[in-house]
Amino acid sequence: MKRRDFVKYAGGGLAALVVGSVMPAWVSNNQLLAVKQVQELNFTITDALKNMVTHNENHNAQSYFWLYKEANFPAEIPGPHIITTEGSLIKVSITNGLDEPHAFFIPGMVNSGPIAPGATKNIQFVASKAGTYLYYDNLNAPVNRIMGLHGALVVMPNEAVPGHKFTPYTAPTTAVQQLFDDFGTTSHFPGLSWEQGDDSTHTPAFRQYVWILHAVSSRLFAEVGNYPPGRDYPAAQFISAYQRDRFRSDGLNRKPDFFTINGQSGWFAAHNPYITPNHRVGEPAVVRILNAGLSLHSLHIHANHVYVTGVNGVVLTNLLWVDTYTVKPLDVIEWVVPFIRPPDVPNERGIGLADKPLISIANPEIKGSVPHPVWPPTEELNTHFPKIGTKTGDVDISVQLSPICYPMHDHSETSQSAQGGNYGMGMMSGLDFIGDRNTPGGVTTFPGAGMYHGPNQTGPAAGHEGQH
Amino acid sequence: MSFSKPEHLIPRRSVVGHEGEWVKSFDPPQESPPTPELLNPTNPVPAFVAATIPGATMSIPNNQRVHLMHGRDLPMWDGRKLAFFLIGNPDVPEASEGTFPGPTIRIPRGVVFHSYVEAHGQPAHTIHWHGIEPTAMNDGVGHTSMELGEYTYQWQPNHIGSYFYHCHRSTIQHFDFGLYGFLIVEPPDAYDPSDGKNVGGYPRRTAANLSDYPIFPGFIGGKLESGDPHAMTVPYDVEALWVIDDIDSVWREQADHAHQTFPKMGDEPGINDDFHDNDRGKYDFFSFHDYNPDYFVVTGVNFPGRIGSTVSIRPGLTVPAALNSGVDGMQISINARRNQTILVRLLCAAYTKIKITLPVDVVVIAHDGRSLGVPPFGRYNQPYTIPAGTPIEMSTAQRLDVLIRSSRPLSSFGQIEYRNHLSDAFLMNGRIPIVIK
Repeated sequence: MKRRDFVKYAGGGLAALVVGSVMPAWVSNNQLLAVKQVQELNFTITDALKNMVTHNENHNAQSYFWLYKEANFPAEIPGPHIITTEGSLIKVSITNGLDEPHAFFIPGMVNSGPIAPGATKNIQFVASKAGTYLYYDNLNAPVNRIMGLHGALVVMPNEAVPGHKFTPYTAPTTAVQQLFDDFGTTSHFPGLSWEQGDDSTHTPAFRQYVWILHAVSSRLFAEVGNYPPGRDYPAAQFISAYQRDRFRSDGLNRKPDFFTINGQSGWFAAHNPYITPNHRVGEPAVVRILNAGLSLHSLHIHANHVYVTGVNGVVLTNLLWVDTYTVKPLDVIEWVVPFIRPPDVPNERGIGLADKPLISIANPEIKGSVPHPVWPPTEELNTHFPKIGTKTGDVDISVQLSPICYPMHDHSETSQSAQGGNYGMGMMSGLDFIGDRNTPGGVTTFPGAGMYHGPNQTGPAAGHEGQH
Repeated sequence: MSFSKPEHLIPRRSVVGHEGEWVKSFDPPQESPPTPELLNPTNPVPAFVAATIPGATMSIPNNQRVHLMHGRDLPMWDGRKLAFFLIGNPDVPEASEGTFPGPTIRIPRGVVFHSYVEAHGQPAHTIHWHGIEPTAMNDGVGHTSMELGEYTYQWQPNHIGSYFYHCHRSTIQHFDFGLYGFLIVEPPDAYDPSDGKNVGGYPRRTAANLSDYPIFPGFIGGKLESGDPHAMTVPYDVEALWVIDDIDSVWREQADHAHQTFPKMGDEPGINDDFHDNDRGKYDFFSFHDYNPDYFVVTGVNFPGRIGSTVSIRPGLTVPAALNSGVDGMQISINARRNQTILVRLLCAAYTKIKITLPVDVVVIAHDGRSLGVPPFGRYNQPYTIPAGTPIEMSTAQRLDVLIRSSRPLSSFGQIEYRNHLSDAFLMNGRIPIVIK
């Protein structure tokens, strides 16, 4: 799988900083973690104007943000993911480049306290417990956090419970341990365990993703950016505008109008290999979800139900297997995507197991169609929509239905419709099946798996001339 | 440091090399393809409906037809008419012009399901079978496959439980304006009358592991792998369907047209696409980002009251067999006898936050079409009790199957509390009568 230089994805996926002198085994050689190793985090609190999903030469769609800019990465919102192992000492240098006091805060772990404009503060803390955390600015709450001063900290356990497989937790519940022990060892989860990779198929071990959800109000953020220097925008006024601004028929009120995962909306998240899990059947993955915003989301994943294993630092005992899950402001959720064959593909017994697929009949409407197993769906994988040769200008815009791509999207309205028409502009990522480890004869990789997860090329970004 | 002098400018990422996928994400192609990996359908339900519902036909063998969309104005509780987009079943007279919600589709687990879907009126549309997990073309998502046109969706339900189906085009208009219906996967023999059971009525069975809940009689354990169609199922005497929805009448006025906010690709996709066709129109708006519902609904029935009120629907409301795959007697307001097992299927189709409070203890047996505690996939979870009076929170598209059994008579109600999804402001308490005699 081709991957761009991690810097180009900074903030857009799992571009991350590993803190500490030792690169842990779960990080090294993991292509899903575009990693830079550092001994100390070097943040500047600063601001940016960002071109949003519908920004192009016809239409100005920008939003003002505050952000944690790390010295190793280009500016992005959210700040880079920080990954480490339990017990590590993390040193952070923070310079406040803005006009009012700011801070760096992780509930129960670290609190920098106010950092004056222009000042630098050096702090350190121990990543005391494996899990998923939001780091953010807790001053003038929730304004500074919502303005973009947030990011994710992932703390992995140092080792598995003796005699068991790795989980994302140091003290997993019986149910969570059983789930991770069953991946790759039972007839209902054939394939790899979570801790297991396969170099021969370019499959990393410890497959995991971070999704930071955010709901951006471009008109309100502009007001904050234009507020008199050195004065905090009143938090109550901010919340009132964000949550209760009066409806306007032209849509120009201050309720949120852009919805992002790791700073990206719609297509830009779904086509980012560090955001959308892209694996074969039999390659289970963990997704860590953090809601940095002030809006409720109802995340719906297609193709596989997911097990919910952790909520707000609590490892669960009753692991619901769901296709839709509620994420409230500041919630931190861990999901496990089992990456089983989509269960409603017709098979012999029809009880949800990866039975032998049924054998199709020849379809006279499909050229060359002969009876064959319905999985892998070879006729479907060879289909293009729009058809090959459909052009816009000189560009062929046909798309092959391979690998098999599914969406993950917020089902709550406005997050899908706020930038018009369809899902590609909203809070969306995906779930992509690039093959199957359990097909007769060994591992199958679907056509296009290596090239799909782009963009592999760089090119002119959309935007008004002179603005970038 | 300010809006006018930011330290950094962050460009939007390029789509070069992926223009096709980019265009598809907001303007999927309309196609009418043959079904790949074609199988012969084996769903017995269309034949049962044709045999039992007066005037019903089965124009394509073993095929559950879905027809969309029917634009209709439906009256609200206060007499006001609102525009709806509706799903119909052209094989059933009562459903042929579309209903709100769409007809409930019931299917036995394990059959090969076919649905020939025709998209008429203002295209484009799809049908996504929410919670059903087939290949991408049969998943009904335009931007990962195609929009219709016409197509025969094909899949095989593998997990007994509660689902729904909806158009997966722009959800605001197409789901919120009414393009959805409920979908129930039943045990494999649900439509097999050979053992003498009442196929078109009750009791029926659903999947559960009730080995720790002996108050529900008739539970059968065992293993799915055994081939016993009743393994890990329980009978229920009464079934109620609560599809909880809300409606923003202003959005209906702003967007009377199914393409109202759809972007158009430019001749340089990613550079000059036109996202703003709409704001030159009659209402001078670009897209929907502000949802303010003013009508509240359960299974198509209005809660008859304004924002801020606490109101009840009538007792005795049921869903006709013609709109429930030939099964007679599914309820909305609950009417049962003591010691009957009552299954309530809950779907949140609302965009606001809802809390459901019931006057009796309930046992949650399934979330999102997955029964709790049924091995092998349910070995990591188990059914649980929610005590009477405890609010159950749900967000858009979640389903919950709960069982009730009361040895005492009861005349009460279930309450749906609606609150704004951003501000948490109270919107309405809608009450659904529950009478147990």
